[in-house]
Amino acid sequence: MRHMLRSIGLVSLGLGIALCGAAVAPAASPSLGVILPRGLQRGATSVLTFQGGNLADAKEILFFSPGFEVTKLEPSAGAVKATIKVAKDCRLGEHVAHVRTATGLTEYRTFYVGPFKDVAEKEPNSDFKAPQPIPMNVTVSGVIQTEDVDYFVVDAKKGQRISAEIEGMRLGVTMFDPYIAILDSKRFELITADDSPLLKQDALASILAPADGKYIIQVRESSYGGDGNCYYRLHVGNFPRPIAVYPAGGKLGEEVEVRFLGDPTGDIVKKVKLPAKPVPDFGLIPEDATGTAPSEIPFRLSQTGNVLEKEPNDSLKDASPAELPKAINGILQKPGDIDYFRFKAKKGETYEVECFGRRIRSAIDPVMVLYNAAGGAILANDDARGPDSYFRFAVPADGEYFLSVTDHLKRGGPGFVYRVEFLPVEPKVTTGLPQVARYSQFRQQIYVARGNRFGAVISAGRENFGGELLLDPQNMPAGIKMIADPMPANASTMPVVFEAAKDAPLSGKLVDLRARHIDPKQKISGGFFNHAEFVIAAPGQSLFSWCDVDRMAVAVLDELPYTLEIVEPKVPLVQSGLMQLKIRAHRKPGFTEPINVQVPFLPPGVGGVPAVDIPKGQNEVLFPLNANGGAEIKKWKIFALGSATVNGGAAWASSQMASLEIAAPYIQFNIQRAAVEQGQKTDLVCGITVAHPFDGAAKVQVLGFPPKVTAPELELKKDSKELVFKVATDKTSPAGTHKNIFCQATIIEHGEPIVHYVGGTELRIDQPLPAPAKPVAAVAKKEAPKAAAAPKRLTRLEQLRLDAKEKSQAATK
Amino acid sequence: MRQHVRLPLMAFAAVLTVALVPVWVCAAESAASPKPAEILVYPPDVQLTTARDRQSLIVQARYTDGITRDVTTDAKFTLVDSKLARFDKQTLYPVADGSTKVDIEYAGLKVTLPVSVKSAKVTPAISFKLDVMPVFMKSGCNMGSCHGSARGKDGFRLSLFGFDPDGDYQRLTRELSGRRINLAIPEESLLIQKALGAVPHTGGKRFEAGCEMYQTLMTWLKAGAVPDPGEVPKVVALEIYPKGAVLDGKGATQRLSVRAKYADGTDRDVTTLAYYMTNNDVSAAVAQEGVVTAGARGEAFIMARFSTYTVGSQFIVLPKGLKFEFPKVIENNYIDTHVNAKLKKLRIQPSPVCGDEEFLRRVTVDVTGTLPTVDEYNRFMKDASPDKRKKVVDDLLTRKEFVEIWLMKWAELLQIRTNQNISTKSMLSYYTWLQNKIASNVPMDVMVQELLGSQGGTFANPATNYYQNETDTLKTAENVAQVFMGMRIQCSQCHNHPFDRWTMDDYYGFAAFFSQIGRKPSEDPRELIVFNSGGGDVRHPVGGRVMQPKFLGGEVPDVAGKDRRDILAKWLASPKNPYFAKNLANIVWAHFFGRGIIQEVDDVRVSNPAVNAELLDELGTKFTEYHYDFKRLVKDICASRTYQLSTEVNPTNVDDHRNFAHAELRRMRAEVMLDCISQATDTKNKFPGLPLGARAVQVADGNTSTYFLTTFGRATRGTACSCEVRVEPNLSQALHLLNGDSSNSKIHEGKVVRRRLEEKKSPESILEELYVRCLCRRPTAREKGALTALLAENSNKRQVLEDTFWALLNSREFLFNH
Repeated sequence: MRHMLRSIGLVSLGLGIALCGAAVAPAASPSLGVILPRGLQRGATSVLTFQGGNLADAKEILFFSPGFEVTKLEPSAGAVKATIKVAKDCRLGEHVAHVRTATGLTEYRTFYVGPFKDVAEKEPNSDFKAPQPIPMNVTVSGVIQTEDVDYFVVDAKKGQRISAEIEGMRLGVTMFDPYIAILDSKRFELITADDSPLLKQDALASILAPADGKYIIQVRESSYGGDGNCYYRLHVGNFPRPIAVYPAGGKLGEEVEVRFLGDPTGDIVKKVKLPAKPVPDFGLIPEDATGTAPSEIPFRLSQTGNVLEKEPNDSLKDASPAELPKAINGILQKPGDIDYFRFKAKKGETYEVECFGRRIRSAIDPVMVLYNAAGGAILANDDARGPDSYFRFAVPADGEYFLSVTDHLKRGGPGFVYRVEFLPVEPKVTTGLPQVARYSQFRQQIYVARGNRFGAVISAGRENFGGELLLDPQNMPAGIKMIADPMPANASTMPVVFEAAKDAPLSGKLVDLRARHIDPKQKISGGFFNHAEFVIAAPGQSLFSWCDVDRMAVAVLDELPYTLEIVEPKVPLVQSGLMQLKIRAHRKPGFTEPINVQVPFLPPGVGGVPAVDIPKGQNEVLFPLNANGGAEIKKWKIFALGSATVNGGAAWASSQMASLEIAAPYIQFNIQRAAVEQGQKTDLVCGITVAHPFDGAAKVQVLGFPPKVTAPELELKKDSKELVFKVATDKTSPAGTHKNIFCQATIIEHGEPIVHYVGGTELRIDQPLPAPAKPVAAVAKKEAPKAAAAPKRLTRLEQLRLDAKEKSQAATK
Repeated sequence: MRQHVRLPLMAFAAVLTVALVPVWVCAAESAASPKPAEILVYPPDVQLTTARDRQSLIVQARYTDGITRDVTTDAKFTLVDSKLARFDKQTLYPVADGSTKVDIEYAGLKVTLPVSVKSAKVTPAISFKLDVMPVFMKSGCNMGSCHGSARGKDGFRLSLFGFDPDGDYQRLTRELSGRRINLAIPEESLLIQKALGAVPHTGGKRFEAGCEMYQTLMTWLKAGAVPDPGEVPKVVALEIYPKGAVLDGKGATQRLSVRAKYADGTDRDVTTLAYYMTNNDVSAAVAQEGVVTAGARGEAFIMARFSTYTVGSQFIVLPKGLKFEFPKVIENNYIDTHVNAKLKKLRIQPSPVCGDEEFLRRVTVDVTGTLPTVDEYNRFMKDASPDKRKKVVDDLLTRKEFVEIWLMKWAELLQIRTNQNISTKSMLSYYTWLQNKIASNVPMDVMVQELLGSQGGTFANPATNYYQNETDTLKTAENVAQVFMGMRIQCSQCHNHPFDRWTMDDYYGFAAFFSQIGRKPSEDPRELIVFNSGGGDVRHPVGGRVMQPKFLGGEVPDVAGKDRRDILAKWLASPKNPYFAKNLANIVWAHFFGRGIIQEVDDVRVSNPAVNAELLDELGTKFTEYHYDFKRLVKDICASRTYQLSTEVNPTNVDDHRNFAHAELRRMRAEVMLDCISQATDTKNKFPGLPLGARAVQVADGNTSTYFLTTFGRATRGTACSCEVRVEPNLSQALHLLNGDSSNSKIHEGKVVRRRLEEKKSPESILEELYVRCLCRRPTAREKGALTALLAENSNKRQVLEDTFWALLNSREFLFNH
């Protein structure tokens, strides 16, 4: 199905050309859709095509792991062909790469490295009677089209192992859940495989040929689905394909003897020298004289050694001895198996008791129970870590304790390996670039143009500690500087601006953005983590395939025709206030494109619009900011991030890191409630408290009136104690209680406005009463001049009391 | 369109149907001897307890030719100790306590029965549950159309068939302030007045004043209509006598005697209280007094219902003075023995054995759902070995297609289809699981145990989809009973089953096995894990008591701390369950004969007995002996002479379609027919969700269908009922085949004729191949003559041959397995 791949490539190529017009000037914002074929062979030189957009100026492939040498790079707008020499000792399995262009960085995508030679799938191969012949020990690169079935045939001798493993969902392109089967020539399935605990939705199958003959390997989507994106890599050979390793972990730097379990030829025993330092997602590749399995089995690297179960240990009295903090290892050998362990613990110790089962891709759905010396259960858990179990064990007293591990469904067998680690409660920190767009890596890379800046919001996750953090990026490209304050103890995100020198060389690096506790004595530090979601599908928006990385791509790009600046405000933004932040663009001559500006980081309690545009040819824009009453009073750092179309792609630049002060309001208003009849007038009385003295006069206007209600703007002097708004209504002013009536007060300081929103009251507008009874009206009229003459203005309550008094007096007369 | 030669060929198509040539020669025999071979007296013993008890006796004479005659009134009864009991109209009444014997003599034959009398002087009070409730049943008061209706009738409700006696007592005596009974003047009670028809009653007059039922009600009312003081003994068994009868000619009668046995060890003659039914009024009508009267020749099952029990007796009615001789036929195995034994009773002669061509086509279609290929035909016809039929069966059983046929049938029983609970992936994994089980010949009991006891993820262990397809506890229980025991217990959800033995207690006790199914999400968001939650009960709707899990018709097992489904599965699919093996054997049998020994196969009930119980029993026994390997059962069936009988009939079996006296014409099932058409025309099918070329029997999803499959009655698997598959021919099927795109366009698409002509084959040899391809036989001389003439007349050979092909595909001989 190679021709299909090519035609898809052409489609994206076409798109790429459409995007960058004549494809002369390289466009910024490159993208990477898929890497094809989906893998290559270890120790060989092959060509991978990185398909995407805006790739014409591609300069480099950034690999997250060693073992790749690009000997030739042939970029075009829609794809980069890279001739890659893969080292003989390159790790098998998934590898990750970005493409760096002169003007940008793509998202990262994955490809696979396998031990076997690549063979392309050739249609037609959908008829069982006419399968595609392949030799043993190859990797077929294929595609499952709609309702497609692919058949391959191999020859095998009696007793020879036939193994098949497919990479489908793992390839992370689309919702593709593969199914494989090995059939005999009479069409009987000798083995079928769909999902597997080891490979999740991907499948593996391994059998011994029952007789000399032809064996047919069937590949399809598990629901007979499929489309042009359902790529697969099918490994077929006589390689071993065990499903678990025991023990599933060992001490760093030591040699351990492991047993690979579940292969049809039996267990494979090997001695393995473990790395001295932690390796992320470490795994072991099963090997024997006939070959190498195409993918790893996860293996835990620990600071402590192992305790292995000693069967029979199916009861408390037969419990296998263990000593903390060594990791406990066992296998549920047969259905119904339960394993007990005994160990001593001291009061005051606390352990994170983690059972690794499904997390090391074992078939087990573990249930852990912890018992005291008398055999009473004190802690139990089934699914705290997905299917795996976990609890925190704070040892209540010195003494002996027991732990049991069993399967929730009482299953057992060679694949049911588990490992219980007793880990200390440790502080942990990770940094990250929060997602800007859902299910996308958009702006999760750092790309800084020479002589320019780029800003990002960096997040930090803290576990088991608190405190301020310092960011400490490792291995940054030359000429790049990171500007960041310490992250406050109460914050989990902060703005960071990267600046590239004018002469910084064009380059890219994968940077471990480390964060450490501000107090060096604490010795708490952690690195970068990003989680990219590749396949999201039903039910709901479930995640099926993803890729996590531990470094952040940073690159220095070609110069841009503009820079951005925040004109630092001379006045603070007050709580419950507003500010128009001025953002200025400096354009190179001839560059007039509109620039879209956003302020990605806003202090807590501060809001703004998503983005504003500096219009074509103009250089300034106001970015409205508002603070709520709870915004934290502090001098904050913010930056503005702009994007403008340069050569058909979005080119990004940020402003300098600017200060924004949040302050308490200078004044406070206490506005009395008011009531008025339609068509009448009333006073709106505001009591004033000045918290922060100011010069000159502030302009105050009432906001929030319903239609047909007005009050003239007033001036507030610095020593005013009260303002009275003369509120006029109309006969058609809407009756009812109108809440949310407040004042906007604008104080001018250093020539800049400080806009306050103060007060907050309600105005009741009543419909006029029906014509009142005469005597009452007469009395009221008589009294009215009296009231008007009174020097004191009555409050609403006083007015009502007076009315009532007068009415009762009138009645008694 | 092809119109030019259509008419002559259509006419010709009719010639292709199987010729039915009678080869029957009638045998004669002398009349039945007047002296019976034996006399049978029922019941086998007499136990009289309390002064109110009695026991009627019947005497049946059986003659050498099998005819039976009711000689009760002509027999002589002699009580050895006449002080203990007395006789009145062939009925014994107690007089004094003690044991004795009664001698019965007829035509010089003598039988002696033991008689025991206890508590002869004690007259117990009338019990509401033991005495009054049966009156409501016998007089029809609590039937569904009367007061047993869910909302009662005319303001008065009784529980349907008496499932709730306590409720009935309450309504009768307490509702409307007891207006229904008048304890001061019992005769004036509305209950009595209505039943006698003395006051207007929609149900009319139910019985006469003074009759036994009247006396029972009156005695109970006079005694104050008191409730039963405590638990009363339950009926534990019901017996109907005689066990069977062969009646000689229209008008012959046979009286019945029905006896109920109680949990306290006593019994009671309930002949007058039992409700009588027949499943064939034309052959044997039964009066409510318990007398069967013979009608037209045939078979009938006479049933008596009392309490929650229904029991039956087999009656055969023969024309008076029939002369008959059973031919000497070879019996290939036990199947033939039992079938022939039944045929002998019915005086029916089996048809002769079918020819090789017929056999090859029949067995290939039945076993694999495909037509024999030309090669297979030639090989089989050339084979001169005497066991070639056995060899061909053995070969067919090794094919994947055999697996696929049974996979399809099981997929129907297990309702494999997509729905809101079951994704395509789940459905396909479930299908694949089933395929693996059948293909690897996993014994049926093991497979069913794995299925019913299944737990785990719906992907990881697809058998758990059985519990995802149906998540309702009660419906799950009903489906299990229907599929694996052939029983429809749905009725007893709301009331005791009227035509079977199942009570509401049985129903909810059985459902309790499925009350502890837990479900939790799996690592894969599409998957669900089914497990034993260890908690949850089923409560009886009357009174709300928690029901202990109880096997249907079996014991109450110990389920404490165990997976209830596991316990059930182990019992259900084992020889301990008397229904399992027989039911599966019946399903297999029905596939090969188009009709079950119990028909429908999932409607096993007392009132729908097996047409040949001995045969079904032995099939069940063999199936168990074979360790539930149904391939061996298939071998037995295919090896039997019965399976290999011709469709030709003789005067004795022409009307019989129940006893397997000749092969039946069976329309091929929708899937098989489409596959056969595709096979004959060398074309491929395309179904939604499956690759091109998939066969119709491989369609995994019950929800997937095509116009063809729907028209020809493919099951949608919406229910577990075997009734979903329709094989009755209808007009739209005929029109679709004549005019639709299944035959005509497939002939074009497959290019069979064109390719043969291109290969320079002679039109005559192509003609012959078409016949073999479609009908598994060569054309007859007459057919050959007519078609050769057509070929000679017409220069367009392809047209004539393709038209012939079309006619063959439309012939009944093609569409029916015969």
